Amino acid sequence: MRLHEYEALDIFEQNGIPVPRRGVAGSMHEALHVAGEIGYPVMLKAQVLVGGRGLAGGIRTASTPDELKEMADALLSSDIKGLPVRKILVCEKVEIAKELYLGITIDGYSGKPVIVVSTEGGMLIEETARTSPEKIAAIHIDPSFGYYPYQSRTLLRMLGLKQQLITAWTDVINQLYNVALRYESLITEVNPLVVLPNGGLIAVDAVLEVDDSALSRIRFPLPDRVDRIENPLERRGREIGVTYVDLDGDIGLISSGAGLGMASMDIIGEKMRPSNFLETGGGITADLLYRCMDLIMMKPGLRAIFINVYGGINPIHEGAKGVVRYIQEHNVKIPIVAKALGNRQEETWEIFRSGGVHVVTEVATERAIDKLYELVGGN
Amino acid sequence: MSILMNNSTRVIVQGITGRIGSAQTHWMLEYGTKVVGGVTPGKGGSTVEGLPVFDSVEEAVRMTGANASVFFVPAAFVLDAFLETIDAGIKLIVIVPEYIPVKDVIIMRNYAIEKGVFALGPTTPGILVPGKGKMGIMPASLFAPGRVGIISRSGTLSYEFAGILSESHVGQSTVVGMGADPVVLRNLADILELFQEDEGTDGVIVVGEVGGEQEEKAAGFISRRMTKPVAAYIAGRYSPQGKRMGHAGAIVRGSSGTVDGKHEALRAAGAAILESPVHVAQWAKEHNLK
Repeated sequence: MRLHEYEALDIFEQNGIPVPRRGVAGSMHEALHVAGEIGYPVMLKAQVLVGGRGLAGGIRTASTPDELKEMADALLSSDIKGLPVRKILVCEKVEIAKELYLGITIDGYSGKPVIVVSTEGGMLIEETARTSPEKIAAIHIDPSFGYYPYQSRTLLRMLGLKQQLITAWTDVINQLYNVALRYESLITEVNPLVVLPNGGLIAVDAVLEVDDSALSRIRFPLPDRVDRIENPLERRGREIGVTYVDLDGDIGLISSGAGLGMASMDIIGEKMRPSNFLETGGGITADLLYRCMDLIMMKPGLRAIFINVYGGINPIHEGAKGVVRYIQEHNVKIPIVAKALGNRQEETWEIFRSGGVHVVTEVATERAIDKLYELVGGN
Repeated sequence: MSILMNNSTRVIVQGITGRIGSAQTHWMLEYGTKVVGGVTPGKGGSTVEGLPVFDSVEEAVRMTGANASVFFVPAAFVLDAFLETIDAGIKLIVIVPEYIPVKDVIIMRNYAIEKGVFALGPTTPGILVPGKGKMGIMPASLFAPGRVGIISRSGTLSYEFAGILSESHVGQSTVVGMGADPVVLRNLADILELFQEDEGTDGVIVVGEVGGEQEEKAAGFISRRMTKPVAAYIAGRYSPQGKRMGHAGAIVRGSSGTVDGKHEALRAAGAAILESPVHVAQWAKEHNLK
């Protein structure tokens, strides 16, 4: 779960990381009030859960109340990369002597946490990683040894920095590493980490993505997870316990397994357009598949449904019962094609057929999607 | 021949008394796997599917001579049970459960490698040697004995590939699920190496997906060490990307992670790129694989 910047800044501040004076606003009047307390000029930052806000026009500077009124209204009625801006962060505009970068993430390949620093922070950090990799340094943390501050000092010395900056930066890394540990985060990042004219450091932005699998055991207060999903269908998916990604096509998809779901999308995408990605995970029941049907049928203009499931850990015959019950109760007329293989496949086919579902018994998903294409009458 | 599992593999099931653990034990036994017992702390002395249940892994190993373990333990208890299993001397572990915190997986991975234990998962369907046995949840009807190895990051896609091959009368030597989590207990290249050394395997299929850098790193191994033909499929071309990637992830991973990037690396390493799973049958035919 990715936190909003304003939520992450609060957590950083509670953990001793210097952050700007700030307040979050849901209206122009609230923004005006916060700016009045802080003093102009202020930064206005759209609070949306997506990277690259700055380049997309989501970050502005207001020098006067009139400017702020105009900008706050404009931001609060805008979309950034398709996400509506519901809140803006109003914060002190600090004087910048230099912008740095600091991030902690997990290197999946080595299976170790890694601390990444760069003397070239700011909006183009990914570009820097490509063009000037020598300006970026990283250390992997051995899980059985743990992290110690000397590792940061060594890392920063490699970048040729002055001792004063090394000392201040090492403090910030220590505190950020604590945040990463406490919140079991997959990404913990400050970009830019600003060097003030007096040599002090301040975190002007904050990214915190908590490991969803660890949410139940984190001892610190966190915002509600379902609440923050903007798309109502995706929110419904989370509520019933499946992974649902809303897309803009018209062929509904239910799969067991993310890989199979992605492969199905890829094959559908060759000739038609998927309406959604829905992956059930393990734990199929009749009720769950009934709810999945209900969810994908919410999309207006759906032309057909493709169900692709394997009976390994999942009782697919149970799932089929839920699908058929939904078809009968809601008098579904659009074509539905199912490929269901594995444990209890024959029984599953019978159930599907009793509900008017077209069953494809070949293994290749491509064959089942050919059938679906034929049933919807091509494009 | 096969990799990881053979005639001397004696399996215990951890979490055997749970609903999934007992059902999957039934399927494993039915497929001919030498399952010798189970472990559920507090349920020692009972039996499941006629097998003895023990309170500790140490006891299970001592009483049954088990040398491999498959997990159906709730995610919250997996780390503890995993460390116990390694300390009890088990050398092959399959972690089926999903939603294990990454922090726990990091500790597990590190400890397993330090102790020379081969572990797979989390979120893996396990290992299946067609006609011989399996540790995990793979639906046996889709597999047939033969000489093609499959390694997959996705459980259901490994079934799809095995099923398509079986339908075209091409069998599999061993099918291995490496797990779908951001951090897994063993990397792709480690499993490729086992297939390269296995006399019973003539070709290998790598089933990957968008994200991470397993396939890119494995490409290095393929070009340096693999003499057997390798085919690769990467799922996720039409998947919406960038939803959860932050800068730090992107910097560490560089330009890797995309379907195109993975294709490019694998093709340069000499692997055949499969645009769709169904193409695997043609590839097997071209290389005369059985």
